[in-house]
Amino acid sequence: SIIDCRLKAVVSTQSTGYYDRGNHYEFVKLDKDLARPGELTESCSFPFEFLKVVKQYESYAGRNCRLRYFLRVAVSRRLVDIVHERELMVHQLSSYPETNSSLKMEVGIEDCLHIEFEYNRSKYHLNDVIVGKIYFILVRIKIKHMELSIIKRETTGSGPNTYNENEQISRYEIMDGAPVRGESIPIRLFLSAYDLTPTMKDVNKKFSVRYYLNLVLVDEEDRRYFKQQEITLWRKSPTSLKPENRGVVALENHT
Amino acid sequence: MANSETEQAKYLDAAKEVVKREAFNMQRALDKGQLMDGLRHATEMLNELRTSILMPKSYYELYMMVTMELTHLNMYMSGEFIKENKIADLYELVQHAGNIVPRLYLLITVGVVYIKSQECSRKDILQDLVEMCRGVQHPLRGLFLRNFLLTSTRDVLPDIDDNIVDSGTIDDSIDFILLNFSEMNKLWVRMQHQGHSRDRTKREQERLELKILVGTNLERLSRLEGVTVSKYQNHVLPAILKQLINCKDSIAQEYLMDCIIQVFPDEFHLKTLDTFLDTCCQPQGTVNVRNIIISIIGRLSNYAQADPSNIPEDIELFQIFSGKVTQIIQSRTEMPPEDILALQSALIKLALNVYPSETGYVDKVLENTCNIFNEERSRAKGCSAELSRMLRVPIDHYGDILTIIQLEHFTQLFGFLEYKSRKELCVYLAENVIQTETHIDSHDQVDLFLTMISCLVTDQADQSAEPEDPEDFEIEQSLVGRLVHQLTSGIPDQQFLILNTCKKHLLTGGDKRIQYTLPSLIFRAIQLCRVYHDLAAEDEKWEKKVTKILMYINSLLSTLVKAEYWDLALRLFLQAALVCDMVGIQSAETAGYEFVSQAFAIYEEEVSDSKAQLIAISLIVATFERTINFSEENHEPLRSQCLRASSKLLKKPDQCRAVSLCAHLYWSGKNREMAG
Repeated sequence: SIIDCRLKAVVSTQSTGYYDRGNHYEFVKLDKDLARPGELTESCSFPFEFLKVVKQYESYAGRNCRLRYFLRVAVSRRLVDIVHERELMVHQLSSYPETNSSLKMEVGIEDCLHIEFEYNRSKYHLNDVIVGKIYFILVRIKIKHMELSIIKRETTGSGPNTYNENEQISRYEIMDGAPVRGESIPIRLFLSAYDLTPTMKDVNKKFSVRYYLNLVLVDEEDRRYFKQQEITLWRKSPTSLKPENRGVVALENHT
Repeated sequence: MANSETEQAKYLDAAKEVVKREAFNMQRALDKGQLMDGLRHATEMLNELRTSILMPKSYYELYMMVTMELTHLNMYMSGEFIKENKIADLYELVQHAGNIVPRLYLLITVGVVYIKSQECSRKDILQDLVEMCRGVQHPLRGLFLRNFLLTSTRDVLPDIDDNIVDSGTIDDSIDFILLNFSEMNKLWVRMQHQGHSRDRTKREQERLELKILVGTNLERLSRLEGVTVSKYQNHVLPAILKQLINCKDSIAQEYLMDCIIQVFPDEFHLKTLDTFLDTCCQPQGTVNVRNIIISIIGRLSNYAQADPSNIPEDIELFQIFSGKVTQIIQSRTEMPPEDILALQSALIKLALNVYPSETGYVDKVLENTCNIFNEERSRAKGCSAELSRMLRVPIDHYGDILTIIQLEHFTQLFGFLEYKSRKELCVYLAENVIQTETHIDSHDQVDLFLTMISCLVTDQADQSAEPEDPEDFEIEQSLVGRLVHQLTSGIPDQQFLILNTCKKHLLTGGDKRIQYTLPSLIFRAIQLCRVYHDLAAEDEKWEKKVTKILMYINSLLSTLVKAEYWDLALRLFLQAALVCDMVGIQSAETAGYEFVSQAFAIYEEEVSDSKAQLIAISLIVATFERTINFSEENHEPLRSQCLRASSKLLKKPDQCRAVSLCAHLYWSGKNREMAG
């Protein structure tokens, strides 16, 4: 029998949207043949390398879509191929953004509730801490508690087939009880506690992952008053990484 | 909220079960070195403190149980983590907890260990902890959380005498505690306004149960070695007072002002007296300032008495307090009389205890009280009991009436008492004089004194029209009678003046009184005659004086006669006659004759009962027999009168007895001629 040996390194994406099930969009595909057709009678090893692979996006595994890098080795035979896949994780590292203003805003409901919220930055890395405060300007409702949630919104598809999936990643109580006018409530939320990914915008024109801080106040009758604010998450290079291995410092694509 | 007691007990028991279980699991995990599991169980345990169902008392019980278990966690962390220097990571880790109440209890527990490890600035950690606690705005939960903060950091606050050199000074400790205190006070005051207006009493009761949580901050401040007098004056006290004034809550103000007085040393109070009292004067309406002022007066009084040198010379305690009290009373026009008088009593006690030699101070207080009541009569309504109590204070203290008499305004205050209270007080005074055997020995003082007890001496305008209980009246007037004997001077001339003054007052008593009061007076007059007689050699005018006395006695006796006290008058006439006889001067003899004649007149006109007649005539004869100085001219008619009266007795046996008595007059009766 004739045994063909081929090694393929295939990098592909799979976008599985609701209207788009099972669609795969490959954006990187590199092949290498490892062996000529012939017989394989004993164990042998075949070295290979792929040079200068452009890894434009970060690996991502979400509810409705995934972005994967993987190596596939296929031994093609007459009848059935032997296939083996090994997944690779790719992280996009960024450096500190040049501009990173704080988020500060006064919001409220007329004659009911006026607050000013402040978050120290608009762009946070994944091990960062959200530091801020909520200042109460006017309180005419009976507040039971206040919490800060991180919402992840995964957008897949386009046009009429756009689908948003919201997921509440965290629910962090920042205040217990009813404040009065003039109170200032501190916020300190450690992002390292949660399973987060960097913000991704329109990856391969197929999907986006965005994050929002949702400030929620709940009153005695369980009515909820909320204010959502988008934040940008980015991945910082770990300090343990040696400088030469700190990979490609990715383009600042988070503006 | 579950209101009934059984429901509360049920919920509390359920919560305690959970705590017990989770605490056990936590301990087990820690014993195995599994910190993450331990923390998870600790969080479960702490979740019970998020409850809104429990009332303060029950919540407190739960809190004590939970915080006791947290000490195990503290000990574990102190052991393990300080060794490995991972405490900073732990400090971050516990902040991942989703619910704020467990998170902060854990943070405080770790924070204390962190401080002890000295890896980080004490000041920074403490500041972080006290600020992060802002997240709990629920009054009950917030109060207990901050109490936990305070008690946990008890041993790690920077102070003067600890040897840890780092960024963390006594001022940082003071700021830390002051911030915790004001936040706790805010929460405590907030409780007043929660909920329905109909539950207000219940809420206030709950607040009082929790007051000690707030007060502990002040107590902790007082324990800091580094809080010196000047730090107290410039840093600590102004901050506390500012919080008190701004919170505008009377429960907080009353309790905390008293707390300040109790926890800080007396020398601090002396230094800051003006500031403190000014705050008391702030018009806050419902705050009961009375107890606070009395408390601080009491404390400083004791301090002064313990060692007079404690009070610096430039601090005039009495003046300061007197001025402030007056200011307070004038600014609070609704202050009830009990409060006014309680304050004045406190001032009196201060004056008596600390400045015993200054009777002027006591008088000043009395004067102020008079002025207050005079300005606004209505303020004095219904104050009799308290006023009597207040007036008794100096009486008891001084013990002798002479000092009381010197207090000009003492008597004036009597005018504000009701009749009954007034009388009781007069009786009290009279008894005091008699018991202490005080002699009032100048006629001016006697005059003042009798004016003071005029309630006993004479009818009062506001006396009720009903007749008094005769027994009580008799006891009372006997008292006055006995009193007369204390109004005496060793100097005869002075004594005479006293007697005149007494007469003036006692005659106003009316007929019903004089039967009790005049006899004493007459006896004293008689006594005085004897005294003058004994001092004849030293005083050339003694005869004239004695004559005057005898006229005095006569006038008193006539009054008795007019009031128809026959029996009494008869006896007293005879008594007076005896002294006339003893004196031995011409005018006295005339008076004596007159007296005996008067006695006879009474006998003949008014004594009608035969038994009484016998007794009376026997008495007359016996008395007459004693006399030695009547001239034969006077003796003879009186003798015969005796005989005549005797023979006119109704019953023969009586006649016999009487006549035989008269026989004494004839054979042993002495007169001047016979010379003894």
